[in-house]
Amino acid sequence: MTLPFTSADWWAVAPVSIVAIAALVVLLADILFARREQRYASIVIALAGLAAAGFVAARQFGHDYNAFFGGFLTGGFATVFQEIILIAAAGSVILYAALGPASRIAGSIAIMLWSACGAMLMSGAANLIMIFLGLELLSLGLYALCATDDRKASRESALKYLILSSMATAFLLFGSALLFGATGSVELADLANPAHVANPLFWTGAGMFLIGLVFKLSLVPFHTWTPDVFEGAPLPVTAFMSVATKAATIAVLARFIYAALPVSVGQRLLLPVWIVAGVSMIVGNVGMLAQRDLKRLLGYSGIAQVGYILVALAGGTPLGLRYALYYLTAYAFMNLGAFAVAAAISPHGEEGADLRNYQGLAERRPWLAAAMTLILLALAGLPPTAGFLGKILILASGVSAGFVWLAALLIVGTAISLYAYAKVVRAMYAPAETGLPEPRPFVPLAWVSAAICCAVIVLMTFYPLIPSNVLPLAH
Amino acid sequence: MIVLATILLPLVAGALLFALPRQDRVLSRAIGVVVATITLVTVIAAGTTSEWSFRWLSRPFDAAFHFGATPTSFWVALLLTVATACAIAASREARLRDFVAQLLLLEGAMLGLFLARDLLLFALFWDLMLLPVFFVLIGWGEHPATAWRYFIYNFAGGLTLLLATAAFGVIYGSTDVIGRAAGPLVGAWAPWIYAGFAFAFLVKTPVWPLHTWMPPTYSGLPAPMVAVVSAVQSKAGLYGFLVIALTLLPHEVHAYALALMVLGAVSLIYGAVIALTQNDAKRIVAYSSLSHLGLIAIAVGSGNPIALRGALVYIVAHGLFSAALFLVLGYVEEREATRLLARLGGLGWKNPKLAGALCIAALAALGLPGLAGFAGELLILIGVYQAGYVWPVIVALIAIVVASAYFLRLYQDAMNGPEVPDVPVRGDLTWPEALAVAPLLAALVVVGVYPAPLLHP
Repeated sequence: MTLPFTSADWWAVAPVSIVAIAALVVLLADILFARREQRYASIVIALAGLAAAGFVAARQFGHDYNAFFGGFLTGGFATVFQEIILIAAAGSVILYAALGPASRIAGSIAIMLWSACGAMLMSGAANLIMIFLGLELLSLGLYALCATDDRKASRESALKYLILSSMATAFLLFGSALLFGATGSVELADLANPAHVANPLFWTGAGMFLIGLVFKLSLVPFHTWTPDVFEGAPLPVTAFMSVATKAATIAVLARFIYAALPVSVGQRLLLPVWIVAGVSMIVGNVGMLAQRDLKRLLGYSGIAQVGYILVALAGGTPLGLRYALYYLTAYAFMNLGAFAVAAAISPHGEEGADLRNYQGLAERRPWLAAAMTLILLALAGLPPTAGFLGKILILASGVSAGFVWLAALLIVGTAISLYAYAKVVRAMYAPAETGLPEPRPFVPLAWVSAAICCAVIVLMTFYPLIPSNVLPLAH
Repeated sequence: MIVLATILLPLVAGALLFALPRQDRVLSRAIGVVVATITLVTVIAAGTTSEWSFRWLSRPFDAAFHFGATPTSFWVALLLTVATACAIAASREARLRDFVAQLLLLEGAMLGLFLARDLLLFALFWDLMLLPVFFVLIGWGEHPATAWRYFIYNFAGGLTLLLATAAFGVIYGSTDVIGRAAGPLVGAWAPWIYAGFAFAFLVKTPVWPLHTWMPPTYSGLPAPMVAVVSAVQSKAGLYGFLVIALTLLPHEVHAYALALMVLGAVSLIYGAVIALTQNDAKRIVAYSSLSHLGLIAIAVGSGNPIALRGALVYIVAHGLFSAALFLVLGYVEEREATRLLARLGGLGWKNPKLAGALCIAALAALGLPGLAGFAGELLILIGVYQAGYVWPVIVALIAIVVASAYFLRLYQDAMNGPEVPDVPVRGDLTWPEALAVAPLLAALVVVGVYPAPLLHP
């Protein structure tokens, strides 16, 4: 008897399975625990599941695993993306301790974990079907999560996200179909055949596929949904979206660039993507200038930051992918830290999202203000943070790959962004207005989360931890 | 190892100060002075022999946390520690604990900058040293817009420095190059890399027409902070030209020397003329700084060895007298609640020590022989003339004459003349206040009489 799955298959998807099972346990525990304990039981179980998955994924690193007949590869850079997604999920689940209507928290956490499963599948996906499956699992969860708040903006955000994101998925799916039609295979590895270069179907398919990805990355001109959706969604969901969606999509893009495109086609097909990245760095940073809401601010900031990460990928070199991963890791901690601070100063609902409430924070909560300052400096790329080292690595990789114009745009974008970030810093150290809501006395989990994020951001500057053998395993 | 301790000490002490009780003003200042003095001792103890290195990156280029003083940076670091110790001793600001902490952080960041032997590390500290000044501008500054102007101008410079450093590292293969007899960078990209460095250095110095952030920043900062910024932070750009550009990109410096000298000469005259017309005492010194640093830019452009030695002497001299001037003007402002020349007058009759301090500092600034300013100016002029450039020497001599005019006007209007009746009269300098500027004035005399150690490093 031949089994369709071998033991290696199960081991390959073990991190994903653990997260999926943890979500079920969260739902079960919600029934068993008393009402007062439900909230912390859900959070603790979710964190335990994520930690276990992270441990298993870390054990996989450095070995080749595949599952679903080669449709899912892991052990190389996919593992690093999975770890980033797990960190994002953990950092977002923690925020539920600080906010959120207690009655729905177990359901929300379970859905978030399943979304994380989708993102983890995407980071290892090696064929078009697996990419689509992962993407849908991720997005369906997010549509529901966006609507979990009672505010009108929350429902609006869910609807907007549903309609626009489905549109993007349609592009991606149609592109995938055309690629299948042109090449007769759904495996990404089979696309890298120079024989397809002459086929217009291949170009159309690849182009539509890339449009779908660019939409998910919310790059210009497909970026307008991001600030609105971020603003409407509940704080933990925004935190999760801002990191996990981008990480998973960059993983797909990286696999597409490094494993699927014939060498001769690569730079010609991808040139529009680099142009879009360059424009995003400017538009995202300019968009930040007028924002009065932290979630909108970080939405625009994310548009620009993804642009920075793409500069690292632009050369198509193995080092570029490593620098992209370095910056993405740092970016994950910056965003999660910023949202943790926002949660820590929200006594009732989401006061932490309103930038007016940061006025004079340094006097009322000096440590939180210091943490937020460090995070904003990191986003702006100032030392002593990983944002600084990340920028220099990206610049070096862009310059050595010959994309000096992208590096120059990055410099211009960063200069613009400084004003937007420093404006928040200035507000925190200015005298306080009267009549602001008093921040919460002490929110242990959010404070710990912010502290960890700050520590990692600083330590990564001095010890740039990126596993050196990321790329050899990409193929 | 000592050199690492030198940098970490003020940084750690500055951070720890925030844990101190907020109200205790004397304790904050005392700790600050002690830390700054110990730092001064460790800089001397480290000398130019102590080095410390730890690998940072091996790809895409080699970079290391590599610290150690070069013969040039040793003197600038010494100047920095002396100026910071004096500035902390002279601090009387509100929320003193936080202010002293910011001064210590600034000292640590700038020590890191001057003692860095790695270009990437240099770029890191270049950005880092903007932060304490930014925080002081938003917390203690006079006008909020100043903070933006300072931060965005200098951050833009920091970004071009960053891009140039990245390109340099990729082409050269290593950024661990400062103060090392490595060959110059050659190739088609070298002029662009030089442009990136030069923009950052010229903004920082500053040189006309990139100077517009400087007068409001200098007049808006509290006196002790501006003393350090004008004495040392403004030298970071010139230090970059002397130690980085001239050794790693000598051909480009030479090729564009004329542009540098023209910018320096314009700053020299422009700063002097504007200083003559200002009414705000701090702005007079700010524009005089623009003028004096233009002279150093000319010296760098000439490339003559004597002029370059003179540039180092003048960097130290300008640091000493501009710190002293700003501290003394801070005392004046504290006593009279104004620094407008029109509303000052006759202070010297009742405050002889204050007048004496301002007198020595102003005389050094206008280049009186026997004080430090003269030694530097003379060497620069001789060197530039030897290099075959006559017109910059003429321009500089005119500017030096104008400098006498505006510094004498500053002294005359503030200290001499009839006493202005409606100003609140307070006592002369107290001993602690006098001791805070005394080391600077003493050093002005010592360097003026015996500049030899600076000339033969």
